[in-house]
Amino acid sequence: MTQVITIHPVTRIEGNARIDIQLDAAGEVCDARVGISSLRGFEQFVVGLPAEEIPRIVTRICGICPWMHHLAAAKAVDACFGASLPPAGHLLRELCQVLAHIHDKILHFFFLGAPDFLIERDADYSVRNIMGLVQQQPELAARVVRMRQLGQVMLERLAGKAIHPVAAVAGGFARPLGKSERESLYLDGQQLLDFACFALEFAKKEVFPQFLEVFAPVGAITTGFLGTVDQYGHLRLYDGTLRLMHPDGRVEEFAAPAYEQVLAEEVVTWSTAKVVYAGSWGEGLSLDPASPKGVYRVNTLARINVCDQIATPRAQVELEEFRSRFGRPAQHSLLYHWARLIELVYACERVLELLGDERIVDPVVRAPVTPQAGRGVGHVEAPRGTLIHDYTTDENGCITRANLIVGTTHNIAPMNVSVRRTAASCIQAGRVDDEILNRIEMAVRAYDP
Amino acid sequence: MKKDPLIIAFCCNWCSYAAADLAGVSRLQYPGSIRIIRVMCSGMVHPDMVLHALQKGADGVIIAGCHLGECHYIRGNEIALARAEILVETLEDLGWESDRLQIVHVSSSESERLVQAFCDMHKRLEALDQTDFAAVEADE
Amino acid sequence: MKGRRRPRLSFVWLQACSGCEISLLNSGERLPDLLNKVEIVYFPLLMDRKCGGEGEFDLPEADVGFVSGSVSSDEHLTLLYALRRRCRTLVSFGTCATHGGIPALRNRWSAEATLETVFPGTPGQPTLPAEVPALLDRVYSVDEKVRVDFCLPGCPPHPETIAAVIETLVTGEQPRLPGKSVCETCPTIRTGEMHRTVRRFLNNAEYNSEEPVERMRCLLEQGLLCMGPVTVGGCGGPATPLCVQARVPCRGCYGPVRSEGNQLLDMLNVLASHGVDHRSIVDRQSLLRFSGAHGLLRSVRKTEGVVLMSEKGNKKSS
Repeated sequence: MTQVITIHPVTRIEGNARIDIQLDAAGEVCDARVGISSLRGFEQFVVGLPAEEIPRIVTRICGICPWMHHLAAAKAVDACFGASLPPAGHLLRELCQVLAHIHDKILHFFFLGAPDFLIERDADYSVRNIMGLVQQQPELAARVVRMRQLGQVMLERLAGKAIHPVAAVAGGFARPLGKSERESLYLDGQQLLDFACFALEFAKKEVFPQFLEVFAPVGAITTGFLGTVDQYGHLRLYDGTLRLMHPDGRVEEFAAPAYEQVLAEEVVTWSTAKVVYAGSWGEGLSLDPASPKGVYRVNTLARINVCDQIATPRAQVELEEFRSRFGRPAQHSLLYHWARLIELVYACERVLELLGDERIVDPVVRAPVTPQAGRGVGHVEAPRGTLIHDYTTDENGCITRANLIVGTTHNIAPMNVSVRRTAASCIQAGRVDDEILNRIEMAVRAYDP
Repeated sequence: MKKDPLIIAFCCNWCSYAAADLAGVSRLQYPGSIRIIRVMCSGMVHPDMVLHALQKGADGVIIAGCHLGECHYIRGNEIALARAEILVETLEDLGWESDRLQIVHVSSSESERLVQAFCDMHKRLEALDQTDFAAVEADE
Repeated sequence: MKGRRRPRLSFVWLQACSGCEISLLNSGERLPDLLNKVEIVYFPLLMDRKCGGEGEFDLPEADVGFVSGSVSSDEHLTLLYALRRRCRTLVSFGTCATHGGIPALRNRWSAEATLETVFPGTPGQPTLPAEVPALLDRVYSVDEKVRVDFCLPGCPPHPETIAAVIETLVTGEQPRLPGKSVCETCPTIRTGEMHRTVRRFLNNAEYNSEEPVERMRCLLEQGLLCMGPVTVGGCGGPATPLCVQARVPCRGCYGPVRSEGNQLLDMLNVLASHGVDHRSIVDRQSLLRFSGAHGLLRSVRKTEGVVLMSEKGNKKSS
């Protein structure tokens, strides 16, 4: 007699996911699956639309990271139309992107992830959440809420709409940044940086020491990693070359338009999101936790692993400390949270760097574009991983074909491996309780899907 | 069973409603399933009203106004014409045959012209619904 | 006021992007206070209450249920029915729930066509994920499937509006939303002179970047397709509409001014009434990109006899 344990929905993540764990007659885990259960069909319904409209439609793929879809789409349309942007256009877009990363990382670490760490472990589900945190640690919660809000308000001042933005347009940006606006943004950016440093120190003191050991089984898998770097091997979020690292540490680099030669997609029966794997390794796809094949990870830990260094000083110091403790590549899944906070520091430093660039206040922010037939691939590093938008247009500049690989899709394979591993080590003789089930969910939550 | 096609006719106060009035006085015959709604000007018939009529069960809609250049409100019937043009295209988008809408221009003395338009529309809708029934029968 | 129990709120998402939920979190300083005032009993983004797996969903009872997203699969439908049974007041939260939103753009194709495009099929692989909820024939708004007590449109709704609506609803009162168009809240300069055509947004609007948005000429009058006249306002709260703040024309994300309005027809009407050539619009149907539910956006294969007939059948029975 076999038994299936279902966790539905997986909570404190963005989106609709479920976990099905299959137990054999002895109550041991024989299979476990994480599936995404909703299908929207963006690839279908953007067909026929004028390409310049797409950046403001695909935002609705995700309300937490709409900026990433917005920018990847804008870059893909630029490429279709052969546009070359004025410098301020790129700088303003990148500024928006790092600000969006900041809000996302605060949301993810404190609102979604932290309740697992900051609320006592046997607490009831009704307390183990941000509402519980507001009750138990009102000062910390108030500061977190305020800082996340600040990031969003800065985005609004810069771009009008923070959720489902419209300001990145084919050929550049819709409005220039005024000098006085820049100054006030700079002051706010410094506040965010202070908070980011506080958050990382706080987590290093209060969170990671207690939890890395306890939750070791949550993360014990070995995979490759994918992220973006510039020509010097520095961490990049907005643009750069994709770098795919094999579990043994060797790397291959490729430009985003060549993604189809490196990455392969496979349809699985239990998820509407296709599984993406490293086709270029030539080993196929296997989700067996003992020896996964073709599986790589994206998102914060992956980016921190593939980059050689980070171009901003404070984040670089943190990266060095991280590497000295966990090596490279670091494989432990819960280190995603640590890597996330290092990236938060980087994003805040990058805000100040971008605002310090004189070219960002240039009134020329957009190059006029001409609709034409073409193909364009746009990519950015989203909080949830490498995001690729690939469009083909006809001579009117309307979309004829679209393919999207979103951050979460890359992580479907490793999430499945992690969950199966975690389930196998936590569930014995068919015994489950809420804490065990939550621990399995934590394996998913680390990936921030 | 075949049903008499229901037609809503929006008639402007100054020309076409007067023409309909005259048609009555002159005892001209037209199908009984036509419902006349008097409006002050054909230019005040918002496209939503046409769509609303169809959604509520009308089979066709006629917008009747003064001859171009003779609008009591100077440009009302020109606006009505521009609206009819977009309606014809949009009705197809929204799943209705564009034949279900017609715009006519009549003066207050041209009652025959108005009655002719009523009869033409009625005949056209009958033919339209006939093809629909045929399609169903073929399908079954 | 009977008892001292805090009002219970339930948040369910269907075909949603979570933007509405994030917008709620953006209510900033007001948020901790709001969270203290109510008891949230179900909210998958923020808390761990589960609703179970197959067939029947086990949702907790709530005074007010918020549902975001449109109804797109049979699982959404079951979940929505469960929510309706378990809450006293049901709010459709965001434009997807009130008018179909962006997901309803799928209604221009049949469900089969969408699946074929998304899963083109490779030899030797399963062509479709078979163990996931089945797609409905089209994407529905929430009110097409269950009785809705209050509609809060917006993509996403403004944080202040969400907070105000929650605060009003928990006292048992019916909130009121502004019923005016985006144009009524837009400060740009209007002269009544329109371009004879509309152009695609391929270069920026004309404005002096040193000057505030109040000194900018109306974007529609500049010949950009701005859906302000046919879209209900409120996106900027008391301030300028958000897209206009970014000097970008409105695309209608709050849905029609009257909730049963038709943004496509109404916008073309605006253009026609002002002598603008509507043929200069490249993709007319995407004027319904936020309000394609309620049968407004239809499969492009409508000219085939059978489909035509079934639509006509729908029409007659409604």
